[in-house]
Amino acid sequence: MKNLINFLIQYSVVFLFLFLEIISFTFIVKNQEYQKSVFLSSSNFLVSGMYEWNNSVVEFFKLRAANDNLSEENTALKNQIINLKNKLSTLTPEANDSIHFRIPPEMIYRFISAKVINSSTNKLLNYITLNKGAIDGIKVDMGVISDEGVVGIVKTVSNQFSVVIPVLNPKSNISCKFKRNNYSGGLIWSGEDYRYANLTDIARHVELALGDTIVTSGFTNSFPEGIPVGTIEDFKIKESDAYYKIKLKLAVNFHTLSHVKVINYLNFQEQKELEKKSVE
Amino acid sequence: MPTVLQNIFRFIFLVLFQVLVLNNIQFLGYINPYLYILFILSLPFQIPRWLLLILAFILGLSIDIFSNTLGMHAFATVFVAFFRNGIIKLFTNIEEGNNPTPSFYTFGVSAYVKYVIVMVLIHHSTLFILEAFSFTHFWILLTKIMLSSLITILLIFGIQSIKTK
Repeated sequence: MKNLINFLIQYSVVFLFLFLEIISFTFIVKNQEYQKSVFLSSSNFLVSGMYEWNNSVVEFFKLRAANDNLSEENTALKNQIINLKNKLSTLTPEANDSIHFRIPPEMIYRFISAKVINSSTNKLLNYITLNKGAIDGIKVDMGVISDEGVVGIVKTVSNQFSVVIPVLNPKSNISCKFKRNNYSGGLIWSGEDYRYANLTDIARHVELALGDTIVTSGFTNSFPEGIPVGTIEDFKIKESDAYYKIKLKLAVNFHTLSHVKVINYLNFQEQKELEKKSVE
Repeated sequence: MPTVLQNIFRFIFLVLFQVLVLNNIQFLGYINPYLYILFILSLPFQIPRWLLLILAFILGLSIDIFSNTLGMHAFATVFVAFFRNGIIKLFTNIEEGNNPTPSFYTFGVSAYVKYVIVMVLIHHSTLFILEAFSFTHFWILLTKIMLSSLITILLIFGIQSIKTK
């Protein structure tokens, strides 16, 4: 008995070491569930508060780029208005004969604008924290876009904050397609460079060219069709391969990301339930 | 008592500096120095080992909470803390009863350089391997470990050589 106690005392530090390492390792392995529960992740109130404070300082230095972006968007919108006005003026005389024109589909998408308060681009698993949450109507699985293109999908939501899995995370799986000919494939990040990602599942008979635009396919309910993802930077195929190796230049610059829009697809629930029912 | 206070300040400063400044450095996409390990490096030699481990765990966990990587930093930091005293004894011969705070002055330049390099390499390797959780991107992993360690080591030397006494 005395020997046993001596043994325990002598090696107590080793036991403590093993105990702490096991706790840490359990944390790592269960990370998934922990993120779901929001507890101890960056949706945590204190941490988010601090990041928001930090962001308010950093944001000042990004104002210039943000201004440029806004004015660019502004001009684009104005151009669009003029274009639409022109179109409208040519259409109005015939408007009485409405049978020739398709009735515009219902507006089934709404946008919630939000601000990025924490993000990383250099990890293998990157996450983005937004300053809006369940109170503002954000729900899990909603798509997130910026003015430039696709950003990611909402993973967890707390009352005031939400965490997004961006394209820069191997866990994200966004279905996209060629704008030109509608061939669709999956978007996977290689883990190296925040500017590039890979496009998979494009068979060798597909004709493609450098600079082709890739957009969302609309097959995942999170995104409407046709939101830009990126352009083809490089592609390779070996004699023996059935699929292309395609390198995409992402449309969004994740390093300077600051304002995003969360897409609220109003029929999401209905579509999901219907699809679930038909699988059963 | 001043040592205790000094270490508390060092802890707070290093955690804040790490999460607010260093975690935002993404040079070339590979380099992310983890300077907070300096806290473990600079604890007095005679600190009880159980306290060393507990402090390492708290330090790692604080970094984890801020960077959404629950457990990884805690694991790596506890790991390196466990081997700390062994490594110190390997490179220096401290007499019984002495309780130096590791630095260029107490260890001597060459011993301190070796001590820092070995400790940082152990910590960064553990951390990056845990983060990747596989060896499929082996060369990227190795580059990341080497470059980040290099920057961390240089930062530590820089800070330590500025310190007087």
